This record gives sequence, C-alpha cells and structure tokens, in this order.
Amino acid sequence: MNAYNGKKPVTIITGCLGSGKTTIIQKMLSNKDYIEDFAVIVNEFGQVGLDHHLIKRVEERTVLLNGGCICCNSREDLEEELKTLLYADESGKETFDRVIIETTGLADPAPILFTIMSNPLLQNRYVIDCVITTIDAKNGKIHLKNNPEIYKQLSVADRVIVTKTDIASEKEISELVANVRGINPTCEIIYAKNGDVDPSVVKLNKSSIGISNFNINEISNRNHYSNDIHSISFTFSKPLNWVAFGLWLSMLLHAEGESVLRVKGLLDVGEEGPIVLNGVQHIIHPPQHLDTWPKEEDVSHIIFILRGISTETLSESLFAFQKFLDTEISVLEHLKV
Amino acid sequence: MCVLCSDFITQVHWTDRKKESANGEVVIGEGQRERQRSRLKRVQLCNEILALYRLKIRDWNGSKFILEDAKGNSRIVHDLGVLWHDVQELIGKAINPLDEYLISTMKNKKG
Repeated sequence: MNAYNGKKPVTIITGCLGSGKTTIIQKMLSNKDYIEDFAVIVNEFGQVGLDHHLIKRVEERTVLLNGGCICCNSREDLEEELKTLLYADESGKETFDRVIIETTGLADPAPILFTIMSNPLLQNRYVIDCVITTIDAKNGKIHLKNNPEIYKQLSVADRVIVTKTDIASEKEISELVANVRGINPTCEIIYAKNGDVDPSVVKLNKSSIGISNFNINEISNRNHYSNDIHSISFTFSKPLNWVAFGLWLSMLLHAEGESVLRVKGLLDVGEEGPIVLNGVQHIIHPPQHLDTWPKEEDVSHIIFILRGISTETLSESLFAFQKFLDTEISVLEHLKV
Repeated sequence: MCVLCSDFITQVHWTDRKKESANGEVVIGEGQRERQRSRLKRVQLCNEILALYRLKIRDWNGSKFILEDAKGNSRIVHDLGVLWHDVQELIGKAINPLDEYLISTMKNKKG
C-alpha cells in the first residue's frame, strides 16, 4: 500500500494474559468488510481459538546480542516468520496487506520493534505502524499491581484498548483509565465491549503523536502502583537545532536508554512541517518529516516516559542544554483547550 | 539501531536521517555540499561537549569520524550510533546529559 512507501505495516497487539487480545483479534478477522487482509503471528502456546487462513504460530526465541541490552535483543522466531510471509506474498501464494503480531502476556514489545527495525531485509519491507495494548477493565487494577511487564506494554502503546467494559463499573473503568494515563499520557484510549472494535484500530494516524489526548486532569496522582514511572512534557517556543538535539538525545539514550521507556515528539526544526519523533528505549523510529503541521497539534513539543529517572533531572538537563539546542524550553503544564 | 550493539554499516542512524528517503544512495552535487556542511556542524557541536572530557572528533573524508583523546588514542567512528559507545571505551564511562557536572557546565557556558 502506498501509504507505507511500499512496505507492509505491522501492528503489535500486547497485553496481559486474559486481557482479551485473542478475542479482539478474532473479531477483527471475522469482519469480512475490512479493506485490509491480515497475516497473523501468534505465540505457539497462546490460547487456542484463533482461526484464520493466514495464521502462523511461533515459539518465542530471543537472541541476546553481544553487550546488548534487553530492548535490543532480536526475536529470531519473528525474523524467520516475517521473511517466510514476505516470500509467500511475493510469490502470490498468500498475499496480505498487514501483519498483526500478538505477543504473549509477559512479552516486552521492544525486542519486536528492534527485530523489525534493525534487520536489513525486514526494515526495508516492513514498517511498525501501531502498538496496541489491551487491558481488562475488571482486572486491570490487579494486573497493574502484580504484573510488572504491563508498564512496559502500556508505555509503548499508541493505543490502549480497555476490554470487558460490559462487566466493569463506570468507577472501575475511570480509575483504571486514570492509572493508564498516569503511565502513558498521550495514548489513545478505546473501549471495547465483548471484544468488539473496529478493525481500523490497527491503523495509526501518523501525523498525531497524541498530545491532544493529553489532559492533565485525567492523570491520577494516586498511581498506578509503580512509583518510579513518570512522564514529563516540554514545549519549544523556537525551532530547535536538529543536529544538536540528535546529539543530546543519542547521548541520553546511550547512558540511560533502558530507563527512557518512551519518547515522542512533534518538533519544529525550522522547516515547513514538523519532525515526528518516536522512540522506545534505545530504539528510535526513523524520524518522519511532515509537510505541514497537523491541525490539532501545532505546537513543537516532546514527551518522555521515564522509569527510575527523575523528571526534575531530565528537565534540568534540557534547560541546561537550551543554548546548545538553540531553542527555548518550557515544561508543558497543561494543554490549552 | 541500538547504540550498545554492533555497528550495522547498512544502517542509517536516525540522526542522519531527516526526510524519508531511499536508503544508502550516494548524494552528489548540491546535496553533497549540504551533507558536508551538516557533518561539519555536527563535528562542531560534538566537540563542544567532548572538549569537557578532553576529547575531540574530526570528520574523515566525509564518510567517517575520528575520535581522539588527549593521550593520542583514536577511534574511527561510523555515526552517532556508535560515537557515545566509543567515547565510553576511551574514557571508561558514559557521557550522560543527566550528569551533574555536565548539566552545570552547560548551564554556565557563555556565548
């Protein structure tokens, strides 16, 4: 599809065991009207019940790279399967428009991103479009308390689907959402009853980094059970020096990459449109250059989701480097409506 | 690309890439001059920080960088993806923008 420069888009669906991933995927697959054909990759030992003509089962196999960090491990099983799918598509045997990868409940999505973005063949043929995390409206609170992997899954998410809303109370749902927002202020929240979502949920609107989803009033100070995850956003009132910024950010990610769970930005670098920045720990997506600023998000800004790093220290660093970056920075306290 | 992992020559580091463009193509003419200007700017900016640790970087043939310390040790650096890794090897620690010393030095810099 031309929208992806000839590459096949990939949607990753993650979330705790029992949070409804499989149900959602099954419902999407059974929607015959949807314009895209999906190839689906699931974990071998995942729940049975997914039935599709192009479904592949893999057993998670991670290659630890020399001196590498956890987020930069390569998922060999996915590498192989994605290549196989590519050959099948090219030969016309089994064609598809998009790959859906369903992870296990314990999965860290970062290695999947790394695998696709760093493998020379895969990076030319696939593009990560969207990361979706499902969370159970009824049991989400318990998961937040007991399942540490959920914080990674939520901070990486572009969209969070709150499932099983039919069996949870309004209060439970809004508390859960406040906690989710406390971890990831700019993700889009979608509510699903009985696993029903529009299949278009797998597609991301690339020109938005979700700052219009950011509402300081929605963020719970009461937490999300993990006191060491915090987010902070900044705006820039002058175009910043992209080269200088690249130095600062790559320096930060080298020294503290594992703690920078997410960085997202729509940056004014002195050109017509902004640069879209999107990173997960050490992995920075190839920056996209938009021709114009999106209507609802026309302020140069950046958001960090940090674990174990104080937002004050990050803030001090950015302010100290202001001159170097050739810009003026403010902390984004709230979004003007 | 992960800055801690090995250097993939086929990779274009994200700081070298602004526009979505075809990969690995040789740029000629005006584009080449722009690229060289950008490299020299990068070297200049890098050296602002590296100087604080008695390091220096210079462009080499428009394709690589040479990183040197005050003792005459040097490293060939492909792109920013490995720069900070090589810096760490030379000085024995990672340069961290959250480091107090670096923050206060950058804050008090004049000009």
